[in-house]
Amino acid sequence: MKNLYRPIESVIEDIKPETPNITTYRFRPKEPITFEAGQFVELTVPGVGEAPFTPSSDPGMKDALEITIMRVGTVTAALEQLKVGDTVGLRGPYGHGYNFDDFEGREILVVGGGVGLAPLRSLIYALFHKPERFKKISIRYGARTPADIVYKDLLPEWEKVPNAEVQLTIDAPHPDWSGTVGVITVLLEDVPFDMKSAVACVCGPPIMLKFVNIKLLEKGMQPENIYHSMERNMSCGLGKCGHCMLGKYYICKDGPVLTAAQIAEFEDPF
Amino acid sequence: MREVFIGRENLLKLIGRWARDHRVYVPVGFDDMNHPETPDYVLVEDEVPQNMILEGAAPAHSAKPFLFYPREVVANYPTSETEARVDAPSTIVIGPRGCDVRGVEKFDKVYWSTKHFTEEYDDPFYIEKRENTLLVTIDCTAPKETCFCTMVGGKPYAEDGFDLNLSLVTGGCILAAGTEAGEKLLEGSGDLLSDVLDSHREERDRNRNSVTEAVERQNAEFKVDVPYDRHNLEGTKEAWEEVTRDCVACGACNRCCPTCTCFLLVDHSAKGGYERTRDWDTCLSIGYARTGGGGNSRPYLSERLENRIRCKYEYSRDRYGLVTCTGCGRCIDVCMGKIDMREAIKHVVTEMAKA
Repeated sequence: MKNLYRPIESVIEDIKPETPNITTYRFRPKEPITFEAGQFVELTVPGVGEAPFTPSSDPGMKDALEITIMRVGTVTAALEQLKVGDTVGLRGPYGHGYNFDDFEGREILVVGGGVGLAPLRSLIYALFHKPERFKKISIRYGARTPADIVYKDLLPEWEKVPNAEVQLTIDAPHPDWSGTVGVITVLLEDVPFDMKSAVACVCGPPIMLKFVNIKLLEKGMQPENIYHSMERNMSCGLGKCGHCMLGKYYICKDGPVLTAAQIAEFEDPF
Repeated sequence: MREVFIGRENLLKLIGRWARDHRVYVPVGFDDMNHPETPDYVLVEDEVPQNMILEGAAPAHSAKPFLFYPREVVANYPTSETEARVDAPSTIVIGPRGCDVRGVEKFDKVYWSTKHFTEEYDDPFYIEKRENTLLVTIDCTAPKETCFCTMVGGKPYAEDGFDLNLSLVTGGCILAAGTEAGEKLLEGSGDLLSDVLDSHREERDRNRNSVTEAVERQNAEFKVDVPYDRHNLEGTKEAWEEVTRDCVACGACNRCCPTCTCFLLVDHSAKGGYERTRDWDTCLSIGYARTGGGGNSRPYLSERLENRIRCKYEYSRDRYGLVTCTGCGRCIDVCMGKIDMREAIKHVVTEMAKA
């Protein structure tokens, strides 16, 4: 029987710094791993441990995948010590992808905070495969400071995609910044969408999810149309180890993206 | 299925025969333990131990450690081997009770979905052990003080889920096969077996009824108005804090629980690479839900104990259609804070009704 816990050896092909503590890595697994936008993988730094990450590359990319990673704990700090040509372990993908058929013909709001834009990038690539399938795609992104903005070279490219727009904000005034200032919810005040039918895909730190959720519901969005990327500790990724449990849900298997309707029963699900 | 009678001496011989081809575990008494009345499992080596105890209630351990090892190597790195390598010797466990086979039911649903019609991933490490392990259950002859199987829909004897069931009666016991594999254990041992008499069956039924009544009687004070499979234990924050007051998050309840299925994958350095083990974990520890960045969805112990108890009564019911507290009472036996699941539920339900 197939071993569910075995990491597939993967070579680090490219390392691209995004911000002082965020880096995008490209990995080439020795056995192919294909994923859908929204799914995640477990990454092992040999001898150190394993942690869950959602790829940030185009799901259509063959033979390799990219993950944008912020240094926060043991595994990510150890990963930073590795060089191009070193190997890591990958297994997955796990969880569900976004249901694009459901998004067809609708206005899509993509809301990211900090490194939370990373998982959304694979979603954005997938949406951009055929942007005409959707009425409008609006990307709203908040970072702490201008230096913390990821994908600085890509954001202007995304602006050029038909049907798409990008808006940015930073948390506090900064000499290098002339754009919008304030936490991410300031970009959600006047979204020119029919909020009753629009879809939102949200990813960021738990505190941001909490307030974005409140704001979007206040603006009239339907709970079943708000998709949150839930942050949990996931050891197995298979709906067994229990670490990511939220009530009856295993975030790893039933998510990692859950709708506001699915989590409405919890007092503070984030 | 086949039912036979076997005398006590012949039973020892039969177990001895099984031990030639299988690893056989039997419950024995340990005089030096805090609970001398609670037997625990030992491996039968040359002969069946004289201090084997078939009477009383469930042994210290459930069937869990035989099917899901406390620590087990599940992967090596690097390796190109895609198949799981499982160490699953042919094993017979004599001693699980009705509560324990209900515990195995949860494991089946979580780890062996194709056979049990859940939507989970099949786990080779569990499945191979499960397939190679025969369960010989025993009817309880007397409850421990902490037994409460009847409060959660159970019985002090196994109704299904066993390969063979053993009911003690005067002069020996009735062995009832529950599966073909169980029947096979009786093959070739006709010299040790005889027909079950009506008087044996009557005695078995009498025993079962009287133990069931004893369990019901000792739990009368814990009764609440809500059926065990209809609980909403959301409770109040204060009620859960009160329940948690004497919890030190040692995790003993998780370990002895026949339905705590959770684990942690841990990587260790090994020759030429590293190996990954799957270790039992405890949802009461503060690091359990902590993420890399330091976030924690259950930072308070009261939230974690609430999660553990509601997992048994609500979350497992909603996910697998199974209330996974089996009423075995082990979590009460081992708790150094003397937290009693029955009191906890009664307290939470009562306080919620007031709120």
